[in-house]
Amino acid sequence: MTQEKFYYDNKIVKLFAYATIFWGIVGMLVGLWAAAELAFPSWNLGLSWLTFGRIRPLHTNAIIFAFTGNAIFTGAYYSVQRLLKARMFSDFLSKINFWGWQFIIVLAAITLPLGITMSKEYAELEWPIDILIAIVWVAFGWNLIGTLIKRRVQHIYVAIWFFLASFVAVAVLHIGNSIEIPVNFFKSYPVYAGVQDAVVQWWYGHNAVAFFLTTPFLGLMYYFLPKAANRPIYSYRLSIVHFWSLIFIYMWAGPHHLLYQALPDWAQTLGVVFSVMLIAPSWGGMINGLLTLRGAWDRVRDSAILKFFVVGVTAYGMSTFEGPMLSIKTVNSLSHFTDWTIAHVHIGGMGWNGFITFGMLYWLVPKLFNTKLHSEKSANTHFWIATLGMLAYSVPLYWAAFTQTLMWKEFTDAGYLAYPEFLDTVTQIIPMYVTRVIGGTLYLTGAVMMLPNLIKTIKSGHIIENEEVFAAPREKIAKKRLTGETPHRWVERKAVHFTVWVLIAIIIGGLVEIIPMITVKSNIPTIAAVKPYTPLELEGRDLYIKEGCYTCHSQSIRPFRSETERYGEYSKQGEFVYDHPFQWGSKRTGPDLARSGYRGGKMFRPAVWHYEHFKDPQGFIKGSIMPAYPWLFENDLNYGSLKRKIEVMQMLGVPYPEGYADQAGADLEKQAKEIAGELKKAGKDIAWNKELIAMIAYLHKLGKDISLATEDKTAGTNTGDEEKETVEFSPSSNPDDLEAGKEIYKSSCAACHGANGEGNIGPNLGDNFTLHGENANDIFKVISDGAGIMTGYKSQFDAVKLGQISSYAFSLLGTNPENGKDPEGKEFKK
Amino acid sequence: MENTNKDPKEVFEGYNEKYDEKLMIDHDYDGIRELDNPPPPWLMWLFYFTVFWALGYAAYFHFFHVGPLQAEEYEIEMKEAAEKYKTNDAETKSIVLLTDEASLNAGAATYAKSCADCHGPEGKGGIGVNLTDDKWLYGNSVKNVFETIKNGTSKGMTSFASLPDDQLMQVTSFVLQKLNTAETETDTTDNTEN
Repeated sequence: MTQEKFYYDNKIVKLFAYATIFWGIVGMLVGLWAAAELAFPSWNLGLSWLTFGRIRPLHTNAIIFAFTGNAIFTGAYYSVQRLLKARMFSDFLSKINFWGWQFIIVLAAITLPLGITMSKEYAELEWPIDILIAIVWVAFGWNLIGTLIKRRVQHIYVAIWFFLASFVAVAVLHIGNSIEIPVNFFKSYPVYAGVQDAVVQWWYGHNAVAFFLTTPFLGLMYYFLPKAANRPIYSYRLSIVHFWSLIFIYMWAGPHHLLYQALPDWAQTLGVVFSVMLIAPSWGGMINGLLTLRGAWDRVRDSAILKFFVVGVTAYGMSTFEGPMLSIKTVNSLSHFTDWTIAHVHIGGMGWNGFITFGMLYWLVPKLFNTKLHSEKSANTHFWIATLGMLAYSVPLYWAAFTQTLMWKEFTDAGYLAYPEFLDTVTQIIPMYVTRVIGGTLYLTGAVMMLPNLIKTIKSGHIIENEEVFAAPREKIAKKRLTGETPHRWVERKAVHFTVWVLIAIIIGGLVEIIPMITVKSNIPTIAAVKPYTPLELEGRDLYIKEGCYTCHSQSIRPFRSETERYGEYSKQGEFVYDHPFQWGSKRTGPDLARSGYRGGKMFRPAVWHYEHFKDPQGFIKGSIMPAYPWLFENDLNYGSLKRKIEVMQMLGVPYPEGYADQAGADLEKQAKEIAGELKKAGKDIAWNKELIAMIAYLHKLGKDISLATEDKTAGTNTGDEEKETVEFSPSSNPDDLEAGKEIYKSSCAACHGANGEGNIGPNLGDNFTLHGENANDIFKVISDGAGIMTGYKSQFDAVKLGQISSYAFSLLGTNPENGKDPEGKEFKK
Repeated sequence: MENTNKDPKEVFEGYNEKYDEKLMIDHDYDGIRELDNPPPPWLMWLFYFTVFWALGYAAYFHFFHVGPLQAEEYEIEMKEAAEKYKTNDAETKSIVLLTDEASLNAGAATYAKSCADCHGPEGKGGIGVNLTDDKWLYGNSVKNVFETIKNGTSKGMTSFASLPDDQLMQVTSFVLQKLNTAETETDTTDNTEN
């Protein structure tokens, strides 16, 4: 057979390897810093861009996309060329892939600390970067598939199956989750809202773990482990079975991130059962990896590379067992929102992704540079330090999680929360947060040790950037299945067919879960009382997103007595219909905020409280680990994009009245001045146009609507019909009623409207002017439902009492009390 | 298939007689070979088991409606708690002023922890109202104060219903007898600020 001469592109592999090492150390350092901030809040040095909320996404993105992303490309570009006996399809695409990816990482490293974020975990980057990611990712896929087409071997090896599946799935996930409408160059809103956004996000988020951190690494394992051990793959049949079952089932498991939250039960069940069914397919990869080492175990003792692989694969097996266990609702009710999840992902991230990458680099760099590893001993030390670091990181976090979740759930014998102060459950685990920092430091130390070892290795050898190779061209054989050829073996030599089958396998799960969530209305029962955000609340919400509050505070109360006792009524699907994006969060380093706007509730704090708390949380509440936010007091609220924001929201179906965008600025100013006025009254002077005001407005919106609507009503029901009932009210002149109304007025209304109705925070009630409405019925409605900042009282008083207050208020009109506030609104005719 | 007549030892340098009797001769990817071992049966059985478990789980909750879904599960939990702690509710129905030293000290401790942030360590007010004067927004009877603390108010007082009634009674007693220095009877209900 004639042999063709061609060249492997080693230069691109080298570049990706360098990037892997560099970003790995950067990403771990950022992680270490973020971890330290939880134990020592002052470590943000008072800098907004260094707060936990801003750098936690930077850490996750740097580790996932910069460190492991470049590791995937390193291993893929090296192994694909060799497994397919062909140079990469296009050097140009290779370069686009490399430089484009690094450019994206740099953009992420700039934008995330600035607070330019979508707040969707592992998909935080804003829309222009999302587009770049799509372009670069397609360049990678195009390069991969192009190489497959011009390959010189007949069949494609299991490592390539995994790379292909990763490419296809990540493309689908990234595009599906990033459908968003731009507000400006730095801001966009996802088209999905609330529950839908949650389902799409965790379909993406879970499968970012699956198809970015798992399948490509299985591809790396299937190439580098047998290479390093010089042993055959244990079972070809197992490869087939676990590959297809893994990629099919993974896509269904996303809802396990939302168990016991405001998600329809059927979707939760799918998340549970598909997660449990993932155990065996995941373990298939571990078993095939470990059993491939049969007959080579003696070498594991001496070889740092094999040790990294063995522990890496074992960590994979551990976390893929733990994952399904955490997806069982009973376990999840304990683990979710705690550090258990953090410990779990770090077994996966440090153990599986980190160790496979380190093993690969120690094997690959000497190969690329035609030399020997400078120091096997140093690599072994790295292995032990990293293993110790991983344990010292994760064990304290498991302990912290068990401790905290049990404290959250503990009741006294009399039936009260044993630890009603959330902070008590935090101070208890601070020692574990400190230990975890030590673990992280050890792990980083190992990675830093790798650097001189690899540099000296590189210096001792030389790279052939274009390595000359000979191979025979691919033999042309019948397209049809040959006799004796198994169907799978047949598809293995048909790359395009294979890709199509992969696409089919990965797309089903997402479609079955997401389409009904969007099209079937009964999945999201609406609550009529839930109103869109006011312009100020919307701007406050965007600040909440910008500051990364969701990294520490959930907005999702689960239906457990231990949570409803602590936070208030549990969260309902219909509450989130205007939430683009959703803000349920996944971790409670601080308390849940879903009811922080429920006046009279357990989580409500007055504006002044927030003022003090944002200014100096630790001075205000001893032992708090919340960072201070002095810049919220200094920065002017930039609401230049407000008009466009309202328009985008309208486009997405949020029912602002037509033309509201033009009026929004004025409404924002009005509401901001009211809050600033309230603060001023309490002795806090702050201009109405500071960011703090918007943040307070948002916090006071959370849970406000439903608190009025669902009080005393059964959970989860559609309260819309009751809302629509019109109440016919005619003022009573019975002295008893008026006296009763007056009593209630004194306790509930006088603080804002003055003892005699002369007005204070609220308008003057004794003049002949009203802001809302023009008849007695409207007065009743305002008192009952609220209007503007006026609180609605129907959750506190029954209809009779509401009638009595309304009658009293009606009687006040025209009494012109002393020191009356200036009239506001329209003239009222009795 | 090609190569089937060759001795595996000749084609693969890493050949290990003890383990590799099932070498698939024509599987060679850049020197990586594959064996024709079956997947471990226990792993396959584990997989079948999880599939059956999944079907059973779905049937239990959705097809036959045996198990409670989450809203119902919550109702059950709340109902059980209501039964279990019923006796406690009855005990705490009577809201009385506590005067013994131990209760007042306990009240002071609770006050320092849960109230002082807003009402000041000496009760002079701050975020919350002054508790030392004779002005009461919600009345100053034992019952008024107790209920204000327990249920919160629409004007911003946080609800402390998650604290036991006994403890609330201690705070109430502490506030009324130790913090408050005004010379007023403690049962009037209509003193209103501004």
